[in-house]
Amino acid sequence: MFSLSEIFTLTLIRATVRMSTPILLAALGLIVTELANITNIGVEGIMLVSAFIAVAASYWSGSWVVGILAAVVAGVLIAALMALIHLKFKADVFVAGIAINLFSLAFTRFLLKNWFGVAGSFYSPRISPIPRINLSFLQIHPVIDTLFNNYNLMDYLAIVLVFVFNFLIYKTVWGLRLRFTGVHPAAVETGGISVTTKKLQALLISGVLGGLAGAHLSLGYTTQFIENMTNGRGFIGVAAMYFGGVAPITTWLASLFFGFTEGVGARLQTMGFPSQFILMMPYVATVFAITFSMIRQQKKLTQKQPF
Amino acid sequence: MKPSILDRLSKLQSPINVLAAVLLGLVIGTALMAIQGHNIIEAYTALFNGAFNGRFNFGGTLERFVPLLLSGLAFAVASQASVFNVGVEGQLYFGAIVAAYFGYVIVGLPSVLHVALVLLLAGLAGAIWAFIPGFLRATWRVNEVCTTIMLNYVAIFFTSYIVNHVFKNPNIGVPQTPTIQDSARLARIMMPSRANTGIFIALGMVVFFIWLMDYTTIGYKIKAVGFNAHFATYVGFRSRWIMIGTMALSGLIGGITGAMQVIGIHGYFLDNFSVGYGFDGIMVALLARNNLKAIPFVAFFLAVLKSGAIGMERFTGIPRELIGIMEAVIILFAAAEALIVIRKRVSLGKGGAEVV
Amino acid sequence: MEPLVKLSGIIKQFPNVVALKEVDFSLREGEVHSLVGENGAGKSTLMNVLYGVIQPDRGDIFIRGEKQHFHSARDAMNLGIGMVHQEFMLAPTMTVLENIILGFEPTKRSVLDYDLAYEQITELSREYGLAVRPESKIMDNSVGEAQRVEILKALYRGAEVLILDEPTAVLTPQETDELFRVIASLKQHGKTVIFISHKLQEVMEISDRITVMRDGKVQGTLDVADATKEKLAVLMVGREVFLNIKAASTKAGPVVLDVRGISARGRRKLSELTDVSFQVRAGEILGIAGVDGNGQSELVEALTGLGRVDQGEILISGTPITNLSPGQIRKKRVAHIPEDRNTSGLCKEMTIGENLIAITLDQPPLSKHGVIRSREVNELAAKLVKEYDIRPANHRIRTANLSGGNKQKVIVAREVSEDADLLIAAHPTRGVDIGSIEFIRSILLAQREQGKAILLVSADLEEIMSLSDRIAVMYEGKIMGIVPAAEANERVLGLMMAGATYDEATQGKGDEVIEA
Repeated sequence: MFSLSEIFTLTLIRATVRMSTPILLAALGLIVTELANITNIGVEGIMLVSAFIAVAASYWSGSWVVGILAAVVAGVLIAALMALIHLKFKADVFVAGIAINLFSLAFTRFLLKNWFGVAGSFYSPRISPIPRINLSFLQIHPVIDTLFNNYNLMDYLAIVLVFVFNFLIYKTVWGLRLRFTGVHPAAVETGGISVTTKKLQALLISGVLGGLAGAHLSLGYTTQFIENMTNGRGFIGVAAMYFGGVAPITTWLASLFFGFTEGVGARLQTMGFPSQFILMMPYVATVFAITFSMIRQQKKLTQKQPF
Repeated sequence: MKPSILDRLSKLQSPINVLAAVLLGLVIGTALMAIQGHNIIEAYTALFNGAFNGRFNFGGTLERFVPLLLSGLAFAVASQASVFNVGVEGQLYFGAIVAAYFGYVIVGLPSVLHVALVLLLAGLAGAIWAFIPGFLRATWRVNEVCTTIMLNYVAIFFTSYIVNHVFKNPNIGVPQTPTIQDSARLARIMMPSRANTGIFIALGMVVFFIWLMDYTTIGYKIKAVGFNAHFATYVGFRSRWIMIGTMALSGLIGGITGAMQVIGIHGYFLDNFSVGYGFDGIMVALLARNNLKAIPFVAFFLAVLKSGAIGMERFTGIPRELIGIMEAVIILFAAAEALIVIRKRVSLGKGGAEVV
Repeated sequence: MEPLVKLSGIIKQFPNVVALKEVDFSLREGEVHSLVGENGAGKSTLMNVLYGVIQPDRGDIFIRGEKQHFHSARDAMNLGIGMVHQEFMLAPTMTVLENIILGFEPTKRSVLDYDLAYEQITELSREYGLAVRPESKIMDNSVGEAQRVEILKALYRGAEVLILDEPTAVLTPQETDELFRVIASLKQHGKTVIFISHKLQEVMEISDRITVMRDGKVQGTLDVADATKEKLAVLMVGREVFLNIKAASTKAGPVVLDVRGISARGRRKLSELTDVSFQVRAGEILGIAGVDGNGQSELVEALTGLGRVDQGEILISGTPITNLSPGQIRKKRVAHIPEDRNTSGLCKEMTIGENLIAITLDQPPLSKHGVIRSREVNELAAKLVKEYDIRPANHRIRTANLSGGNKQKVIVAREVSEDADLLIAAHPTRGVDIGSIEFIRSILLAQREQGKAILLVSADLEEIMSLSDRIAVMYEGKIMGIVPAAEANERVLGLMMAGATYDEATQGKGDEVIEA
């Protein structure tokens, strides 16, 4: 048997933070699009393509900076493709998202074979990973050091971005207009602001964040590309976004919760304990979270519903 | 007033868009081949041979045809009531594990009965699993795309638990269930390929659902709810339960899709066995624009592409992933409702767009 | 004096209606100008043209004598025109302040300057006596408060001309008084107000001038000194009558529909049903008159099972049907022509034939054991198409392609052919061509002859008067009184529709003769 103290250690907290980072980055992008009334489930595909491009660019240039930049560009391009078929060609937002995800899976498979001649996964020592950051001022105490120091650059960046987006969304003109776009587009239009432009902006920003999330998966969390390596993290991002009530700070907490379940799950697995029930927790929690938020919303509806 | 050519074309808007998407995919795929210096004629010949030439190749195409057909049917049936069942993947996992269990534990039944029973129970499992998102959607308008995606993961983890800890073949290292009884197996029809009699069951199901949708009162009500739930409720239908029921029907097909892979192809349930059959189904339904009669053709087309891609890779060295790109481009643009817009002339005269 | 705003020769056609037919309209600076007319007269369309939301097919807009082209509301806004729509353009989950500043946000070093916005808003609200709570969310505000927010929003955007689209339709009497004080204050500050309404009492109370519209045309503009309610009513309703075929009322049979003191929640406060009671007998038409939004929709929904009843009881031929489902109520032999043919009445993706069989589908001969018998279905559909003169005469055509009149004929055919005991017809001829109007009315009368009980809801007084045996007038969710058709005239009904009881409406003014 195992004891609880073996699972709940300081390193579990570290694992929680690390596992939450890609979810958090994706979720931040999803908040921006959701506020503009686009549930961008295509983020899964955006992350996947970015993860691949990050590895490729880092491999060729030998620089993780180039890797991240390339991943961001790739993310924005896929997001633009999403914008093209959803905003311009009027595809349903979920259909567009599903199509983007199928496309991304095939696209990365193709490039993997075409550029590196392999199938399944690609690893090379020439891939330059995103470095860990050592903040010497945190070394004052071993516990503080373990808890807060030596994370990957992206782990820190994601947390900074939580506050950046919190500021952008709630304190700027841009954010105000974005929040109106989702809840009352007609009011936005009569205010002389183009709803389509706001939606495009939101999608492109989610491309940037999805790009960072992808780069973190393949250059930070691991240093390789594996086919379909996002493995639903974009969808968990959707879950975190809903769970966090479409607001950056609470979504951060939700991402940590999902990271935590993943961390505990991984640990239980190594101990031979069936991890599946832990691993499914985020998804079950999400179904409940969405349901409760809808029940709450229904009570406020005055409009006639067909059933 | 005689309908103009534009008016006529506007009715074909949807198929024209799909056709344009397919063409776009073929053009981009072919261009990629050409850019990489492959001989296009050779490539397509190899693709054709890979899909049709010989019992093994053609059997391979048919083998891929069945899950495409069924999962496409599952998605399209739900969409008749305008519900997006992205959860076919999860439903087929439940169907598969249930099929593996009852295919193994029931001994001594005649084959026909055993197969029927297994399919029925698997369908039931899928239906129950689909009932959850259907109920949430119809009762509180909880978005079914989100819930079904989440429930897919739950289904995968849950069946993974079963196959790892509860019902595992102890003789094999990999997590898979014991092999089912021979009586539960579907007969192979094109050895040495794995094509089996499941194809007839699948086609029969398509015919049944076309009949259900077009010739029964249930089908009429489902369509009414899908087109306009306000109308359906107003004329006295129980829209909510019709929507939930349609979702369960879709889940039933999803469950059978999974069972068919177990009793037709593998003979056991393997952890994480689906290579995205459920998502392929979305692609099929999307290309068929949810038209049940078009589903077999689209499913066959995609099966040919998938199975031909392998032959093409083997004989010409063109990576099969290129065909994947082709599919992906097709799906991307098939999603677009307004790739090509044919505007209908709107008459401003009194009485409006009167078709007299 | 040059008018502040001049609209000249405005024409606007929509796919199914001509909304504006060469309309001229002018506005003097600093006046309160009322625009009155029945529903569908074109008031809102005209004002949306002035607000830049709708682009006219023909005609010119002059502001201070200069010709202008509006491509969007923003253009109109830039010239000082603001509008408060009937449906508020406010996001319920956002605060009052955020809603007001949207699109015109003050900033300090590119950060939203909430403090400045707060100051500006409180300043404006003090100046015009518009009390609001800037930091509350819209959904926590009453309708009256939300309306003040809308007015503030327009002022914040620099509106000189304020268009108020039926602002009192959603207000309680107290809130209306409050609004009138605000309008007075606006006028005092030199603003110009366009006030859309069909409540004549109010219009007389606050206007300087009044323009009356009917059928997409301006019937005349009067100074308030020259106007009387009766004059306005005549201009509003018009005199011509399409249909004088009214047959003498036959003997009314037993009570079919018995409504006993029902109350139900409304979409708005004013449409909440309170203690509504009436009966409809076999072989009679009971008309429900009233200005739209006074509870008629809620009443029909309550009777057909589409809405819930909180109190009271509804009986059909003696059996209670309160809060049964629409399907169960239909089984009690109730047919229903709904007010909204496009959302509820028809499924536009389906063919004429499929729409015609929707309610009889489950019964033989159309289906057997759940299987549709297409021969019988086609026969019935073809028969009904012919009988009800639905054009094109092909039941395989989708209803989306039909004109309004033919769509309505499909619905009428379906509901009438069911041979129910009670027919509930809500606005059966709204927005359809004259030919179809006559046809549908004659069918309703024929149904009465056959001994059906008919409940006719209509905002069209002329229709109500020419078809009904008795007329109930609804106002703010209550029945103001039931008048025998013989004793009803437009003036009395009009006054009752504005909130008078039958006695009030008939007293004192009975001998005034209305001249057209």
